[in-house]
Amino acid sequence: MPDPLLPRLKQLIVETLRLEEVAPADIADNEPLIGGGLSLDSIDALELVVRMEREFGIKIASSEEARQALASVAALAAYIRERGDPARLPT
Amino acid sequence: MALTRQVFASTRNPGPSRGLQFLRLADLALPEPVFRPLRAAGTWVALASMSQQRRASRDYLRAALGREPRLLDQFRHFFSLCESLMLKLRVANGTAHRLVLGPDSGDFGRWLKSGGPAFLGTLHVGNSDLTGFLLALQDRRRVHIVRHRVGNSEDTEALARRLGGLVRFIWVNDPGDLLFALKEACASGEAVALQCDRAEHSSRTETFDFLGAKRTFPITIYHLAFIFNRPVFLSVGVPGGPDVSVVHASPAFEPLAGEPRAAGLERARAHFQAFLARVESYLRAHPYDWFNFRPL
Repeated sequence: MPDPLLPRLKQLIVETLRLEEVAPADIADNEPLIGGGLSLDSIDALELVVRMEREFGIKIASSEEARQALASVAALAAYIRERGDPARLPT
Repeated sequence: MALTRQVFASTRNPGPSRGLQFLRLADLALPEPVFRPLRAAGTWVALASMSQQRRASRDYLRAALGREPRLLDQFRHFFSLCESLMLKLRVANGTAHRLVLGPDSGDFGRWLKSGGPAFLGTLHVGNSDLTGFLLALQDRRRVHIVRHRVGNSEDTEALARRLGGLVRFIWVNDPGDLLFALKEACASGEAVALQCDRAEHSSRTETFDFLGAKRTFPITIYHLAFIFNRPVFLSVGVPGGPDVSVVHASPAFEPLAGEPRAAGLERARAHFQAFLARVESYLRAHPYDWFNFRPL
């Protein structure tokens, strides 16, 4: 059964970064978020990190962790599942 | 403001890279009527040896003066920077220097009293480099200063040492966690100061009318304001007497809840352009006070 967190994250990415020409479903689970087809830059990464921290109660504390978390939507979901506040996660 | 991680060890502002200690000692040991001509001689050497900065100075002065600059204009431009550097060294050595607010800086004055977080944008004009330090010293505000480390940054580091923990640098070209240093600084609820006139390392730039042409400036500060929901003040500090700098600050730029980002950015552009017009007006009257020795 697909993880319900994945579509939620895709929706948040599109919404947070105002990606007008991208639909959530267009983002592949394993597509790199930074340096990939979405053309996100470091300010986008910062905005995304801040939003994810607020949304899921995680704390991304270094750029190494950010690189790991933002490797793809699937990686971000795994990171949030591991460290996020369970009460804020979709089931 | 840069969010890239290049190292610019060879980049430096006009001025001595290894002579700051000498300048400090000379300032203590030599009477000013002797030391000032020595600084002028050193300025001629800098002018003769720093071709990139000389070219940038000439291009800037041509725009600011509205005519082809003479060699003496360029000397005055370099010497003005030299005197600004001396002021920083003197303040770092304990010389008293006060900040006063210009009559057009009401919002900034209210923010200073409020103690809230803010992004403080400045440009390489007059004594602006000192503003963040003096805010910390005079108003006991903790300020995180985002800076590009150049080959002769010792003057600013000496100032920071004088202020203990009140000033912290975030070096944009350090190989460390820049993004996260910035995030932590913002999360601390303290002021974060950025220079807003060097676009070459910034991912978000726009063109503005400045000195008779469209010029590119970074607008990262406004994006940060939207992300962290805090106000932006732009300011410059200019000489106001032998021991005084006058701060001219913009009205507050506030992100608005629910405002579409495009509309917010449109307001941000207008806010930046209005401040640039004030800076341009100052520079037309004081052309040697522009210290961004990079191509316009």
